[in-house]
Amino acid sequence: MRGKKLLLLVGLTLILTACQGSQKEEPKTSIRIGISLYRGDDTFINNIRSVVEEKAKEYERESGIKVTLDIQDAKGSQNTQNSQVERFIALGCDVLCINPVDRMDASLIIDRAMTAGVPVVFFNRQPVEEDMNRWDRLYYIGVDARETAVLQGRMVVDLYRKQPDAVDRNGDGVVSYVLLEGESSHQDSLIRTEWSIQTLKDGGVPIEKITGGIANWERSQASALMEQWLLACPDIIELVVSNNDDMALGAIDALERAGIADVNVIGIDGTTPGMEALKSGKLLGTVSANKELYGSAIVGLAVSCGLGEELPEEYPLEEGTYYWTPQEILVRDSAQGEGIEEN
Amino acid sequence: MTQPHETISSSGLEEQNKGGLRKGPGIGYVRAGIFLYMVCLVVLFLMCSTDLIIRETEKEIYQVAVIIEDARDDNYGNFRKGMDQAAIEINADVRFITLYEKLDEGQQMEMILREQQDGTDALIVAPADETQVIAALASRQVTTPMVLLGSELTGEGVEGAVVIDYREMGIMAARQIMEHTPADCPVMILGDREKRSAVSQRFAEGAAEAFEDGGYRYRRAEDMEESLKGWEGPEAVILAENPQSLTEAARLLTDNPFLGECVKGLYGRGTTIQILNDLDRGIITGVCAADDFGVGYLSVYMAVRALEESGSQQPVTMESWYIEKEDLRDPVFEAMLYPIE
Repeated sequence: MRGKKLLLLVGLTLILTACQGSQKEEPKTSIRIGISLYRGDDTFINNIRSVVEEKAKEYERESGIKVTLDIQDAKGSQNTQNSQVERFIALGCDVLCINPVDRMDASLIIDRAMTAGVPVVFFNRQPVEEDMNRWDRLYYIGVDARETAVLQGRMVVDLYRKQPDAVDRNGDGVVSYVLLEGESSHQDSLIRTEWSIQTLKDGGVPIEKITGGIANWERSQASALMEQWLLACPDIIELVVSNNDDMALGAIDALERAGIADVNVIGIDGTTPGMEALKSGKLLGTVSANKELYGSAIVGLAVSCGLGEELPEEYPLEEGTYYWTPQEILVRDSAQGEGIEEN
Repeated sequence: MTQPHETISSSGLEEQNKGGLRKGPGIGYVRAGIFLYMVCLVVLFLMCSTDLIIRETEKEIYQVAVIIEDARDDNYGNFRKGMDQAAIEINADVRFITLYEKLDEGQQMEMILREQQDGTDALIVAPADETQVIAALASRQVTTPMVLLGSELTGEGVEGAVVIDYREMGIMAARQIMEHTPADCPVMILGDREKRSAVSQRFAEGAAEAFEDGGYRYRRAEDMEESLKGWEGPEAVILAENPQSLTEAARLLTDNPFLGECVKGLYGRGTTIQILNDLDRGIITGVCAADDFGVGYLSVYMAVRALEESGSQQPVTMESWYIEKEDLRDPVFEAMLYPIE
């Protein structure tokens, strides 16, 4: 008797499950994407944000699927970002796009997302591998920092080979440089520094480091550092190697204040102000990620994840997780239309 | 040495009891007690978790859509901060929507109808075309409660409005220019090359009226560079009628110092970070501004209040200020221009 009851119960459960399974899932007509930026006032991040907004609108127009972007600025606070993630999940976001404040501390975000079953597309600041391996619905979009650095170094090597005196401005056979570094906790900062200088050495540029400092990607901090260095080492600096465009612009600000024009400054990112400085001849060159592709990849991956579709083939993922955006060198001449652009 | 474990039979227990141990309830009673205790715990847990005992007050989350007239949100930075703050405080789910094309009234109406169809509880709209939006409300095409931004028009279905008197703002800017500039100095009112918004129009009209009253010469221009290239005569003052034109003019002056020779002062309206930076660097002489954070906060607050209390509310008119470089360090303006959420 007891066995029969049990059998009946199991049977009923199976029927109910089958009924539930047979209900066809309605295709989604809208998607909500929660985006948290590590700092809204970062020029590069702002550029990416603009492209993401543009691409989301394009997708909405083409597909007819309503795309709602909830964009929040974490203002450099991991706690704020964690709260934003919780709010995104509570508001029913289908997918999260996170530019982590602290790349070492993405575990809480991942925990929340995993619990809620919401996929996450990280960008620009790469969470540690252990975190990224925790779930198969975590993705990262960024640039290959080593490639960036090699390209940055190569633009000086190329110029040195063509016109040594354009780099060795005082003709003493040594190129004296100063180095502006980004946040010490950012993965790109260390790699950019190491490989940029290594490429200069490998390329045969006789370099000598005068000094260097961490300006945390910020124009104002870089400007202050450069001002100090110009006072401490007048008429020595020939090259400023900067981990990003904003800091390069800070160095240019200090050079302009000091009335110095014969120092080469190189940056990375190809931000809008950076490109303007390139056009006006203040910046020697920069390495730019293809921002159109960067933003498209964020939207493309996010939409596919959120709608539960197959991931788009145009953004091939390394190890099923990482998408590296192509980059190009932009040097002063190319900005004026003569064009050296490399991938 | 430890003794091997021995099982105690019931007879053994009796013997132990006889041997001086206090007689307790039988093992059956103990088990039944534990079982009942566990059942009680489970029942209590279920009652708690199903809100049978402790009922949490459910606060409704209102869906609010903000639809602006622009394709970008550059001029809405502080507004968004205020909007987000209100959303957190009064538990609203606010979505901020920009158009595909700036000032495309047809598209804005499509967005309004789309949001209505998607079940949005309230709308906050900065109209691309005020009359069209008011007409849609009057004809009951749009029935979702709506709070208007910047518009002075009212009508059926408008549940509230946060108004900035841009005409008055234009008059204020013109008066400041006249105070600092001799009457023979011509004024160029710089506008957009694209479609002109009602807000810009009101600002320019106010300024023009004040210049006429003050006996100042003025003319409208759409391309500052072109207008100044052929400029022959005394220095001119530029008044930009919208934040984009002001930003563009400041950029031109920075990049082309020779243009600065024929520009006595650059004025306008807006509170974007770029404008405030240019004001701080002395490229912009003065700007008119309103409390955009307050506008954002108040509009969400009004939308939610309209839903909770039903019935239209009196429009709120925000105050405007004229700000110069020195005012940026004033704590009152600092709090208004660089709000911390």
